[in-house]
Amino acid sequence: MPDWLRLVSQRLSELALDSAEKEEVHAELAAHLEETCESFRREGLSERAAVHRTLSQVDNWHDLQRSISIAKKTEDPMKNRMRQLWIPGFLTLILSTIFLMTLQGFQPRTVSWSSPGTVFLYVPWLMSLPLFGALGAYFSCRAGGSRRTVLLASVFPVLALTAAFLSMFPIGSVIERIIGRKNGFGIVATTILRDGVGWLLVPGAALLAGGLLVHILFSRTSSSPDTAIS
Amino acid sequence: MIGPGIKRGTAELAILSVLEDGPLHGYEMARRIERQTKGTLRFTLAALYPMLYRMEQRGWIRGNWETAGNGRRRRCYRLTRAGKKELSPLRREWAELFRALHQLTKVAHA
Repeated sequence: MPDWLRLVSQRLSELALDSAEKEEVHAELAAHLEETCESFRREGLSERAAVHRTLSQVDNWHDLQRSISIAKKTEDPMKNRMRQLWIPGFLTLILSTIFLMTLQGFQPRTVSWSSPGTVFLYVPWLMSLPLFGALGAYFSCRAGGSRRTVLLASVFPVLALTAAFLSMFPIGSVIERIIGRKNGFGIVATTILRDGVGWLLVPGAALLAGGLLVHILFSRTSSSPDTAIS
Repeated sequence: MIGPGIKRGTAELAILSVLEDGPLHGYEMARRIERQTKGTLRFTLAALYPMLYRMEQRGWIRGNWETAGNGRRRRCYRLTRAGKKELSPLRREWAELFRALHQLTKVAHA
């Protein structure tokens, strides 16, 4: 019987791993080959035939070495998060903001909800959001993002806006105390409801629609996991 | 006999499924898959280990060295919580695929 550990160590000497890990892989694979060979012997094969059949488990040791080195490489979770969430998310936020600012550039004056020009600003922006949501989701999908990450990347502008929206309350109450003016509950409640629906809920739904569409398309077209059985 | 193209992608499901019953080392895992599928799925060493290491990196399985009754040291793999979580959607996806293929072939023969 060959010295399986020596054989594996020689053939996989160039594994791109640290020495302890390399030794572990050698020992594990050698044990596998040893058991395989013993099983062939129990089936009645001569030693020579058993060794030959055992070695036929690996067509190309160089390929195996490369596959193991790649498989053992640890991916940095921070890097993944950056590629799957933060970059697509900020891209969606920046593009949707630039588009809104461009639309505002065409407005003669500052637009408020009550002004008739709002519809010309709001509706085109709203209609563009599924596209931006889809774009964020697309980049997240391509980076291998999970469903949750993909959808978060697509609604990222609304998440940022929600954070800004929520931070307005404590800031607003401080300002009210400083200037000594207090707004009535009715005014505050109406503002929260109107802006919450108009700038958070509806845009969020539009972004999510684009993100969901891309996610569904990606899950349908994505190929099976990169695995193979010989 | 199913060709290698069709077999592609079933490997992870096969490994997770056999590990669901308990920890196994690589050789035993390959034997069990072969036995349970009556030889349809057969893992060689070259196919099995890169996949096991990849799945370990993803946190689906965890390998530990253990000493068997005969004194031999083997690296045994067990399913992690993340692996268990991964198993049900994988099963569902493959079941959907097989159902779809079944429907397709029925239509083709109609």
